[in-house]
Amino acid sequence: MNVLQVRGLAKRHGREQTLVRAVDGVDLDVPAGQTLAVMGPSGCGKSTLLHLLGGLERPSDGQVWLDGQRLDNAGERALARLRRRAVGFVFQSFHLVEELSAAENVELPILLAGGSPRTARRRAQLLLEQVGLAHRARQLPWKLSGGERQRVAVARALANEPLVVLADEPTGNLDTAATNEVLRLFGQLRAQGQTLVMVTHDGRVAATADRLISMRDGMFVEDTWLAS
Amino acid sequence: MTGRILLVLRLVAGDVRRHPGPAAMLVLSVAVATAVLSLGMSLPGATERLYLQTRAATAGPDVVALAPGDDEAATSVLTSLANAPGVVGLSRTYRQFFATLTRRGGGEARAIVLGADRRPGPIDRPLVTSGRWVRPGGVVVEKGFAGALGVHVGDGVTIAGRSYPVVGIAVTAARTVYPWAAMGGPGGGPGDGSGLVWMDEPDTRPLAATDLPRTSLVYLRMRDPGDTAKYMATYHDTPNSAGGRVGDSAARVNSFTWQFMIGQNGVYLRDSQPIMIIGGWLLSFLAVAGMTTLAAGRAAGQTRRVGLLKVVGATPGLIGAVLLTEYLALALFADALGLAVAHVAAPAIINPSGSLLMTAAGPDGPVVAMTTVIAVGVALLTALGPAVRALRTDAVTTLSPAVRRPEYLVLLTRVAALLPIPLLLGLRLIARRPGRAILHACGTAATSIGITVLLLVYAQPEQGWDLGGVTMADLMNDQTRHMLLAVTVAMLTLALVNTVTMAWTTAKESQATMAIARTLGATPGQIAAGLSTAQLLPTLPGALAGIPFGMFLQWFFGPDEPFALSAGWLLLIPLPLLLATALVTALPARLSSRRSVAETLNTETA
Repeated sequence: MNVLQVRGLAKRHGREQTLVRAVDGVDLDVPAGQTLAVMGPSGCGKSTLLHLLGGLERPSDGQVWLDGQRLDNAGERALARLRRRAVGFVFQSFHLVEELSAAENVELPILLAGGSPRTARRRAQLLLEQVGLAHRARQLPWKLSGGERQRVAVARALANEPLVVLADEPTGNLDTAATNEVLRLFGQLRAQGQTLVMVTHDGRVAATADRLISMRDGMFVEDTWLAS
Repeated sequence: MTGRILLVLRLVAGDVRRHPGPAAMLVLSVAVATAVLSLGMSLPGATERLYLQTRAATAGPDVVALAPGDDEAATSVLTSLANAPGVVGLSRTYRQFFATLTRRGGGEARAIVLGADRRPGPIDRPLVTSGRWVRPGGVVVEKGFAGALGVHVGDGVTIAGRSYPVVGIAVTAARTVYPWAAMGGPGGGPGDGSGLVWMDEPDTRPLAATDLPRTSLVYLRMRDPGDTAKYMATYHDTPNSAGGRVGDSAARVNSFTWQFMIGQNGVYLRDSQPIMIIGGWLLSFLAVAGMTTLAAGRAAGQTRRVGLLKVVGATPGLIGAVLLTEYLALALFADALGLAVAHVAAPAIINPSGSLLMTAAGPDGPVVAMTTVIAVGVALLTALGPAVRALRTDAVTTLSPAVRRPEYLVLLTRVAALLPIPLLLGLRLIARRPGRAILHACGTAATSIGITVLLLVYAQPEQGWDLGGVTMADLMNDQTRHMLLAVTVAMLTLALVNTVTMAWTTAKESQATMAIARTLGATPGQIAAGLSTAQLLPTLPGALAGIPFGMFLQWFFGPDEPFALSAGWLLLIPLPLLLATALVTALPARLSSRRSVAETLNTETA
């Protein structure tokens, strides 16, 4: 069963001479449990694709289905609900809420989804243990290293047991040790059957995927299955 | 639901913890404006409320009737007022002497010494606020008079050459407040300012033996206390004991109603009211100007915060709730703080003589409601723009660095090219944000209005109030001056805080531009000077514009006298304002210019 389905998806910026086709009519099916890596040169549209898949941007054309529900014509409120229930985001620059502690950042999506404070606290504790940061739960983001911040971001992405985790250059701002730690986490997610779509420049990250799509000028130029 | 409420509170508390400076500024601005405005709005009717409280607590008379002298003629004519229209009760006839009081340690003042009953009658029962009521050999001093003299229970005073201990301090509603205790001179004409002293009736015999001027008086109770007008119109026609009319008697009777006393007591506040009301509105404008700039300065950060919340699934409603709750909570806290300050300050402002009871003072229900509505309105107006902008922007865009296209005044930018570097940079910063420069100029104009009025009032020769051998300050004049000084200081404080906020916001917003200017060869000194110049340029027209407005206000509300300061002197007002602006903008400008160019450019493009 496909968690994500995309048909004729396009995102255009500008007009006539200044027209940029960030994503140019792509089709995609992502089955449940698959780890998909999208690679390509800078500006090829891979981050825009990820934003469109997660409902962070609206497409110019085409349809996106997430868990059978259309995203491209959904209202802001419906998108918000879908994001908190079905999608977890991991960004290159972490995007943690600076005034909340690590644990509070992880609790955030649970509370937004209507979870009780007690449930949120327990789940955050569990997730932070899984990413090896239980001892740093009370720290504010600025006190954490880059790798630690990204692990908090991963824990936050998993908070509501999403159908799909969308990761945009998750190791782009990390050193080798921190990259290895994040890759280990992604390996665990893959083993647990978590659907994962990641955009990356890093060959090591792409190598951990089941499937690799190469993009150029907003289009898919190669779609390779790396593992059976 | 609990979880979402917790989340909103957590995000609000976290943001306030992380940005305490802007939060403190918001609280300060709104609290100051609320305090002054609520005090100004509380003044109408304030004296009346206090007088009525005092009247109820002391069984105050409906009318006080006085006649010169203490002879039979005076007593007879006053007693005949029992037959005047509407009169249902009459006190015994009291005597009062126009004496001089000397406090121990020096200092003289005019005093009215009233021969009092050891057990006060049913009309006028003065309320002892400290010590005890009169006893043989001991006097009680009226509270406002005691406060002005600095006399306390246990102190000694000398009246007409005899020493008496002060055994008590009391208030009464049978007199207008200090220093208008005499309510008329010994001959029935106008009286000098003086304070009231109660003395045991037998103790006044030595005074009676002297040639001190004196009057007799009675307290009247009316059938309908609200209808004293009929009495005032007809009491002269009341038959006297000699078969004639009261109006024909040898002793001329003067009557004072309790309504007259309310009016006389309110004279104190006559000049304070416009100061507080106009000052309150000017301060409110300064608060709005400061908060708008603050909100603009934080817009980029708030927009990013909105993006972060959107990414994790927050709905527009919840995001709006987070943004508005913070401003609302701070505004309501500031409103409560301002009202509390007003409550504490109210006695000194509403009851400067201290002659009236202060059982309940300060802002009442409608004033509290009004200032709260204003505070909430200011918060909503400030928060709504950034909130709506942030909510309307795509999540991805909100997470990216701000790419807001600034307004741009092309002509000003071109003119700037001909000027030295600091002026060039300053003018171009103004050209990017002309609205903010106008706001800064208007804020400076408001402050300049306050300073102009303050200087004009303080330049007037001080009117001394001769209360006997020593000249005591004219309390009403003092009251006006103190109010004006307090409001102007508050305005200066807010204006300086606003200037710092504007400099900080401009420095923050122009970081990338200034970093690029530095890569092109501008020095940190030129950058700092440019940022300061951007604040200084609007200060000058603002300060100049405030002067005529201040002169108009002083001409309109002030005494009917020519200005004691020439326009030439007033034109110097911009100088200290420019100096203060240069000083307070120097720090943010310098800090901003010191930041590493590479770091700034990396941050802006990350």
